[in-house]
Amino acid sequence: MGASVDISYVYDYFVKLLPAIWITLEIVVFSLLIGSAVGMLIALPRLYRVPVLQRLSQVYVSFFRGTPLLIQLFLIYYGLPEMLKTLHIDVSRTPVLVFVIAAYALHSGAFISEAIRAAVGSVDRGQVEAGYAIGMTGYQAFRRIVLPQAVAVAMPVFGNLIIANLKDTSLAFSLGIMELTGKAQTLPTISQRFFESYLALALLYFMLSFVLQRLLYRLERRLLRHETADGESASTARSRRARRKDASGRLNLTEEGALR
Amino acid sequence: MKLDPAFIAEAFVKLLAAIPTTLEITFVSIGCGLILGIVTALARIYRVPVLRELSSAYVTFIRGTPMLTHLLIVMFGLPIAIDALSEALGISFRSVQVPMIGFAYVAFSITAGAYMSEVVRSGLLAVSRGQIEAAYAVGMTTWQALRRIVFPQAFAAALPNLSNSTIGMLHGSTLAFTASVVEINAKAQIVASTNWKFFESYIAAALIFWGLTIVIERLTALLEKRVARYDKGGVA
Repeated sequence: MGASVDISYVYDYFVKLLPAIWITLEIVVFSLLIGSAVGMLIALPRLYRVPVLQRLSQVYVSFFRGTPLLIQLFLIYYGLPEMLKTLHIDVSRTPVLVFVIAAYALHSGAFISEAIRAAVGSVDRGQVEAGYAIGMTGYQAFRRIVLPQAVAVAMPVFGNLIIANLKDTSLAFSLGIMELTGKAQTLPTISQRFFESYLALALLYFMLSFVLQRLLYRLERRLLRHETADGESASTARSRRARRKDASGRLNLTEEGALR
Repeated sequence: MKLDPAFIAEAFVKLLAAIPTTLEITFVSIGCGLILGIVTALARIYRVPVLRELSSAYVTFIRGTPMLTHLLIVMFGLPIAIDALSEALGISFRSVQVPMIGFAYVAFSITAGAYMSEVVRSGLLAVSRGQIEAAYAVGMTTWQALRRIVFPQAFAAALPNLSNSTIGMLHGSTLAFTASVVEINAKAQIVASTNWKFFESYIAAALIFWGLTIVIERLTALLEKRVARYDKGGVA
């Protein structure tokens, strides 16, 4: 390997990496969509305190937040076919990408359920009561009153999850998916310019997460419009809620996004 | 192929030997990261001219890229830098002599530093200005005020995030297998492929990580009770 660093390779690899963005984004989008559904499903028993299911979803969340994503990827890749085989479903011809998306969806589902729980908990009970008072049904009050407010509160946490998910997709290569990281590891096999390739890779990830962050920030501003109306700024309202949560003495684990 | 519960126990015992390596990576990166984090956080809070911009750029870049890319860049970039440097200085030291785990330490410390910087910064900003003014009013120096008044409160405020970052680094240490370091994940792969029992050995690895995570959470809860004593309100 030549001791020098050739910057022109960075540009060259950057361009060559661009097509792989789609696979990365495919994993992010599908796993977040499925993950949101999973998260909702996991959050509901705990929100409504359903006896046995509540315990189960607690264990689910604890497991998926307590083990590394890489281990989960392998567990699902090797374990899911085995488990489905007992149900006489043969998945030996299913593409690997399906398992990868399943793993990411189950992983982010655990985090999303925590975000949903915290957000719904932060909406004042009086809001629901006021909804009932003017004759709304339970579902109407949830959809028209609780949901818009909860979504606004969950947005920053959800935004962190999206970016964390984008960064986590770099692990998909361990199962042989040719997304950005996989591509960056195979491109320099002839030139042996690995350093330049990884530099281009990091730049690309950075640009992706930067753009994503900007978009999410705008969305967040838009969703928090109603908060600024009564003279209290959005950030103070949120920190007030955060403080109230802290007072319960429990760890608020959803605040900081996962880092990997 | 059926699930073999006996092998889970067997793999579990074999994986126990790799726990020290995992913990070493975690705590070295958290320790070095904390130092890096404090320096960059202070540079940003006190608006030190050039350092402030550098710190912001560092934190933004690292938080915007996956931890795996940090490791890959360090693994392939640091040897080039070391070799060029020792050649220029005429030293016989070459990058081959650096153990692989060293690259993992460096890379993960850089990763942890950026996240720690945010943890430290939010902790320090959580302490209200009136606290330090009151300390000045009773005649403390800046250092005294920081050490006796600000840091204890900031630590209490930052503890939940600190615990989350530690758990994040514990889980991130699984990436060290890329640098051929045999920690729990790599050991699980070895055990799996020698016995051809992948599912079982990853279950064992997951159980170990789950246990370690719960231990960290419990310890934090205990520590939190201790450091948040001042914040309970009331008269007694």
